[in-house]
Amino acid sequence: MLARVANNLFWMGRYIERSEHIARYLCVNYFSSLDAPNIHSQSRQFVLESMMYMVGEPSAKGEKLKESDVLLNIGLNLDKSYSIINCVKLARENANSARDLISTELYEAINKFYHFVLNYSVEDFLKKGLYDFTTNVMEYTAILKAKIRTTLLYDEVFSIIKLGVNLDRATQTIRIINTKYNDIRMISEQDNSTIDVSLEWSTLLKCVESYDMMNRFQKSAPSTKNTLDFLILNNKCPRSVINSLEEMTNYVQVLSSEKNPPKDSAIFLVNKIYAEYKYKYIEEIEIDFQSFIENILDNLVKISTKLEDEYFNY
Amino acid sequence: MSSHKRHPIFSSYTFESNFLDEVFGGNGAIKPVYKTLLNIYGSYSIDDFTKLNEKAKASFFNQGITFQVYGNNQTKEKIFPYDLFPRIIDSKEWEHIEKGVLQRSKALNLFLWDIYHDQKIIKQGIVPKDLIYSSVNYLKQMIGYNPPGKIYNHISGTDLIKHSDGKYYVLEDNIRCPSGVSYVICNRTALKRALFGVFNQYKIQSVTEYSKNLLDILETVKPKGVDTPTTVVLTPGVFNSAYYEHSYLAKGMGVELVEGRDLFVKQGFVYMKTINGPKRVDVIYRRIDDAFIDPKVFNKDSLLGVPGLFKAYLRGNVCLANAPGTGVADDKAVYTYMPEIIKYYLDEDPILNNVHTYHCSRPDDLKFVMENIHNLVVKPVDEAGGYGVSIGNKLTIEEIEKVKAVIKENPRKYIAQPIMSLSTHSTYIESEKSFEPRHVDLRTYTLLGSNKDFVLKGGLTRVALQKGNLIVNSSQGGGSKDTWVLKN
Repeated sequence: MLARVANNLFWMGRYIERSEHIARYLCVNYFSSLDAPNIHSQSRQFVLESMMYMVGEPSAKGEKLKESDVLLNIGLNLDKSYSIINCVKLARENANSARDLISTELYEAINKFYHFVLNYSVEDFLKKGLYDFTTNVMEYTAILKAKIRTTLLYDEVFSIIKLGVNLDRATQTIRIINTKYNDIRMISEQDNSTIDVSLEWSTLLKCVESYDMMNRFQKSAPSTKNTLDFLILNNKCPRSVINSLEEMTNYVQVLSSEKNPPKDSAIFLVNKIYAEYKYKYIEEIEIDFQSFIENILDNLVKISTKLEDEYFNY
Repeated sequence: MSSHKRHPIFSSYTFESNFLDEVFGGNGAIKPVYKTLLNIYGSYSIDDFTKLNEKAKASFFNQGITFQVYGNNQTKEKIFPYDLFPRIIDSKEWEHIEKGVLQRSKALNLFLWDIYHDQKIIKQGIVPKDLIYSSVNYLKQMIGYNPPGKIYNHISGTDLIKHSDGKYYVLEDNIRCPSGVSYVICNRTALKRALFGVFNQYKIQSVTEYSKNLLDILETVKPKGVDTPTTVVLTPGVFNSAYYEHSYLAKGMGVELVEGRDLFVKQGFVYMKTINGPKRVDVIYRRIDDAFIDPKVFNKDSLLGVPGLFKAYLRGNVCLANAPGTGVADDKAVYTYMPEIIKYYLDEDPILNNVHTYHCSRPDDLKFVMENIHNLVVKPVDEAGGYGVSIGNKLTIEEIEKVKAVIKENPRKYIAQPIMSLSTHSTYIESEKSFEPRHVDLRTYTLLGSNKDFVLKGGLTRVALQKGNLIVNSSQGGGSKDTWVLKN
């Protein structure tokens, strides 16, 4: 496979995954806040700030955010690099350059997705379409991932797309955790009383489609500790960071025939990082959660850079 | 008046006696081969057609068969206009076309070999020397070079029209990078999706095996010493208007689609940059014009090509399809010698007719052209896509004078032909919500390999969508329709 095309497929996977997470974050946060039990979680400003923080453009302190601006920017503003429409556009552009390698079924699904997002009326979206738009985006991405799994040859093309999907899944999960962690910190800062923040942890779990399964697994109200344990370290949780890393170790292996990969190779790095988290326990993380998040994001960037150096920048 | 005329969908159908209609005879009677189709269409309402038309359009959008239109704020995607009424060619008529286009492709290949080797046809005075040497597409670097399998025009696109006399005429031979074959296939897909019921009523030749045949043909011209060749399609990139086609063909053949920047030449061999390092490339189906394939030899500013590619080719380490320098033979001035060329190399009479052509480079012809422009089509010899074409009877007096002045300036650049009466075909006109006659042509696709050839049983019927317009090229707002070749 061509190095240039491999790079595009990697990013196609990343953008598909990213659009899904942003859409879900938008949807879950907005709707769960509407009838939230405490005044902070219910505040429009608070929810909008959380959304902007998640997409990486946090608002300045005291800045008054306008709901329609935030929704438009995150949903359908092509000028914003983080917008859903931009992610879908880039996913499709990347697919375009590799359409000889991917199946017609996958390409058509991406294309349909693109036209759906492109043709979605801004007015409808802002007035009444938030739920419809975001759930459709989630469904389209589910279709795409099914097409990736069921219509592609399980070779390096598949592996590279899956590497992209998993890397971005881990990244977005961590970003969402970080955002919610930040939300909770803000609530606590504003109100010293012991507000029940389990709603925010529930929202977080719903943002990564893991709420119901967390209930089954833990059978207790979500707290900082058990939620983070579930979403980062539990290999039974399909969205956990550890699972994404494990999948990456499998897919990166397909790209090389080396039995003993050298220390400076991507395979070595992915396995090393995976092993680091595989043998971690939640009590270790709890001590300094902020540094842990920074560290894991840093590691994910290292993996991406290494893959680029080794495979894409021939 | 037959029943179809009463159907509202045909209410605005008109007949002009000087054009042949493919669907209806002169008296408006349905031609036998279209009867079943029209019976089925008769059962649809205007509403049905509007919906079906939307379905067909959606099929193109979803398949991603679109081109970009650049607007003020954002680029918009559009599909090439497509219509719901297929063109039907019966097996006997097709047999004649197939033999004719294959004959032309073979003759052109022999002609190219000759003009790059012994030049017998020039020495014997059949084709004038100037015709070849004055062509910008004649590559001196190719003189004496033996392309793998002795093939120059691996892929030919032949443009045909049906004149009012009921005969097919060749308008052009395209043997540089003829495009459009992917539309043959996706037109079929779209029509199947919209009107699947119709397909049960006809035995239609399939068009899907083109890519496989193309790969077979390309592999027959692999360089010496290579067992299993690595073939690639070379595209200018995603922004090229034919990018869909390039990716379609690469996918159909199961080969890599590469851009110039994915290839490099080392010690006379061509390699592509893969995730596991360099991989040698043996056959390149290039969709980049000669001028851009190698900045070391041709256009120095070309970013699309590969430095050193031409040298690797001349060394016989890689095969390029079509061969560089084929453009000299699809020059519209060479076209006029096709009957002689066919006779000379194959000792056969041409199966398909040539349109009589006046060479502005000949004083007698030039005089005739100047006096009769209003009855002629004037074309530049070396342009494609319908650019620079003037149709005499559509010009104002001032425009005629302008055309005359342009010809006088460079007579070698122009030929003129009588205005041909391109046949008309029922075509769904979206704005009118009805079927109306529109002028059509037919592009066929012929493949030549070493001891192997193939003609795609189908073709691209191009439609001039504007009423009365005779230029069908997509760059001039033309559309296309599915083309059915019937089985015996």
